[in-house]
Amino acid sequence: MRAPFDKYLAALATALSGLVLGLLLTATALDEGYGFAPLVAGPWVAWPQTGAPEIDPYARAAVAKRGEAPLARDLGLVFVASADSAGAPLDGRCDYRLSAPVPAARFWTLEVATGEGAPVANAANRHVLTSAEILRREGGAFEVALTRNARSGNWLPTGAARSFALVLRLYDTPLDLTAKPNRAAFPAISKLVCA
Amino acid sequence: MTPRDRAYALFPWVAAAVLIAGVVHLVSVLLIPHVAPRDAYRRLLERAKSGPTASGAMLLPRAVPGVQALTREDPAMVAGACVFDLSKGLFHVRASVGDDEFLGLSFHAATGPIFHAVTDRGANKGKIDIVVGDARQIEDLAEADEDDATPQETRVTAPGPKGFVMIRALAKRPSDAERATQAVMAVRCETMPAEE
Repeated sequence: MRAPFDKYLAALATALSGLVLGLLLTATALDEGYGFAPLVAGPWVAWPQTGAPEIDPYARAAVAKRGEAPLARDLGLVFVASADSAGAPLDGRCDYRLSAPVPAARFWTLEVATGEGAPVANAANRHVLTSAEILRREGGAFEVALTRNARSGNWLPTGAARSFALVLRLYDTPLDLTAKPNRAAFPAISKLVCA
Repeated sequence: MTPRDRAYALFPWVAAAVLIAGVVHLVSVLLIPHVAPRDAYRRLLERAKSGPTASGAMLLPRAVPGVQALTREDPAMVAGACVFDLSKGLFHVRASVGDDEFLGLSFHAATGPIFHAVTDRGANKGKIDIVVGDARQIEDLAEADEDDATPQETRVTAPGPKGFVMIRALAKRPSDAERATQAVMAVRCETMPAEE
């Protein structure tokens, strides 16, 4: 009499654990990044296929879940760095310096964002620098100070965030997506001092 | 029962659970773009319903901490959007472009994929003129053409009946925001009802 009930119970437990496991797998897969084939250049990562018609199902799900309208590949490319050039995570208590070059693009913008991609709150209400407003040295090179407290020259505040990410958007860029990007063509992020 | 027998007895159940997990994972990933309650299309649709409807694009608030119409937008961009539904007719988008001012239009299906995009560099004599339709509507349009006439507008076939157009104008510096806003507002979106 007992044996069949055991089987039912085992079937139920199997189905439930399968369901939970499957959903957990989906949640972790969509937690970071956008599916497959990121473009990596040092600390900078881009997901060019999010802006293309042939976007894969994982990237589609990640974009839908986040409520994002990705940048079309024909308009530009978005690179995100959540670590410095040495590989250490960007820490809000530290001062950083970002230095040229930036890959060829008609325009570019640099944003200090949270890990979720929202602008970081700060007293100066500055969230972004564009290629048009950046101050350059003779020869075109430039540096951007990423600090909590105001600096003269190119400066973006990192606010009170404990950690942050840098978002570099290249608009109308001729960057070749089929080749591995050259790390030296991307800005270097160096840690200066930590509070 | 020895532990070994117990393992043998358990194995089919574990294999079944793994199999179910795999199927659930794949189905849920494929389903999310269709059911996600807060994806870009539904956010814009909600906004379009609550705001005044005009032929102009609906302006989205600039990305600032705490307020985001859509996530991960560039704070340097002034963004606008138009939601379309091709079951009501062809969808017509027109824009004039300025002198070396970045203006980008991208056409998104409701379920996510971008099926067309153009910048101000792709404008023809300072104008962007795009007609979106489903395969049938575009075909009808081509049939209605005079034989030797080249159409003035770019014709784009949408993968599905619903979607939206993102309009982004770059404010090169904070003082440029007003001009960029005007550029977004000047984009005209119209549904052209089918002639019966």
